[in-house]
Amino acid sequence: MPPALLTTSLVNTLQIGSLYALMALGITLTFSVMKLPNFAHAEFVSAGAYAALIISLAGVLNPLLIMAAAFVIGALAALLSHLLVFKPLEQRQVSFYTLILASFAIGLILRYLLFLLADSFNLFDLRIAIPLRILFRQDSLILSNLFAWAVPTSLLLVFLLTLLLNRSPLGREMRALANNPSLARVIGIPVERVKNATWLIVGGLAGVAGALWGMQTAVNPLMGWAAIISVFAAAILGGLSSFSGTILGAYVVAFSENTIMLFLNYSFSLDLAYKPAIPFIIIIAVLLIRPQGFSALLRRGGDLKR
Amino acid sequence: MITVQNLTAGYGKLEILQDLSLSFAHGQFSAVLGPNGSGKSTLMKAIMGLNTVFGGAIALNGRELIGSATEAISALGIAYVPQRENIFDELTVRENLQLGMRRRPREQRASALQETLEIFPILGRRGSQRAGLLSGGEHQMLAIAIAWLGAPTLMLLDEPSAGLAPAVATDVFRSLQDLRGRGITLIVVEQNARRILRYCDYAFVLREGRLAFEGSAEACLQDEETIKGYLGVH
Repeated sequence: MPPALLTTSLVNTLQIGSLYALMALGITLTFSVMKLPNFAHAEFVSAGAYAALIISLAGVLNPLLIMAAAFVIGALAALLSHLLVFKPLEQRQVSFYTLILASFAIGLILRYLLFLLADSFNLFDLRIAIPLRILFRQDSLILSNLFAWAVPTSLLLVFLLTLLLNRSPLGREMRALANNPSLARVIGIPVERVKNATWLIVGGLAGVAGALWGMQTAVNPLMGWAAIISVFAAAILGGLSSFSGTILGAYVVAFSENTIMLFLNYSFSLDLAYKPAIPFIIIIAVLLIRPQGFSALLRRGGDLKR
Repeated sequence: MITVQNLTAGYGKLEILQDLSLSFAHGQFSAVLGPNGSGKSTLMKAIMGLNTVFGGAIALNGRELIGSATEAISALGIAYVPQRENIFDELTVRENLQLGMRRRPREQRASALQETLEIFPILGRRGSQRAGLLSGGEHQMLAIAIAWLGAPTLMLLDEPSAGLAPAVATDVFRSLQDLRGRGITLIVVEQNARRILRYCDYAFVLREGRLAFEGSAEACLQDEETIKGYLGVH
């Protein structure tokens, strides 16, 4: 593989891996604290992307304000999903499978609400309207101002989230709730408040991921759904419990989808159309060979492993 | 302090405690003894609202507890240390202790933590360790410390010495005596009667869901019939 191609694919890995990490951490957090594999997470991403698109079309071009809008809308979508659907179902003590199906249903509803919105105002496949500037160009490698926003922002948010979980009283209570829910209740942790806060954070980060994604590609109602299997693959690589494992998993998935795929294409003429199969292969392989993912390897005090 | 009247309780449709009446005195260290299946743990869970109560009454200082949620009961100052899953094993020892102090006013926390480390010095040395890696005795001490940090007036403990070596169990009972000395009322369920009777003040012996004996720890130890008949010789 020519070095220029390799470099480009590694840059893509870094960029996409950071976005996957931002989304996959939300999956890991909801699974640990709420015991819920939330497939509607995909639509929190899309909702954030549309919030970012609309506010940018309205003339707000400051990336920070755009991301703030995406955070608010993603957070609201997540909190409302919890209050209107997941919480009432949990109070009826429904099974794990009912909750998974409910998360698919919420995702479907949100997705088609976004379709309605996009159809009414002709908002399909538009890019968030921040002016594009090329910062660096060599051969096929192009680094834009959007890359300079997306990667550091994702990394910073991942870092802040880790800090929140490991150093703040709220994070401690979230981990306590993930670890032993009945003891958490007995010692007086305000379980509902902690859950609401968790949903706001998870949804907000998904929304920001959507905005960053929409700055680099284009916004459409299916964008979150298109990424969700890769994102779940990353979370499963983290054992759905380990934070550091999830972050590592996100980069492994992005590396496989970009660099390894490109290598297979270049060396063995494997068609690039096989790319979507990669996360499925990763999920199946992990579940068969090492269901705990990276979590046991990276175990530290701060992880969410039960 | 806590009065149980004509209590019938169990799990699902199964009645284990049968028309049980007894009362625990304020400031006392009481042991609840009896063979397996006699209803010792069922009594604790009934007080905490964790199982099915078919009839009767449980009152804390005259206030009825039956029908209240577990969180509400623990907010009244009753701490419960179950036999298993009584710590946050994925968090560090220090984080466990910090979580235990949630119910205390902020300005009390530093002194409460200091007092805890005086009662359980080993926990101070294990502060940054993951709680799941503690030894059996340290694990029980942490569970007791978490419960005590919630500033309870009454503590219920379900077999705190289960699975511990005799010397370690003795350490646990000594620390319970220490807590009693600091004004906490203690109710402890135990399998090993002879061992706890050397540390507690008062004993209740249950058999098949009914009260078979009650009296001071000394009287219980001297009552050969109770010891041999209901408790086995340890």
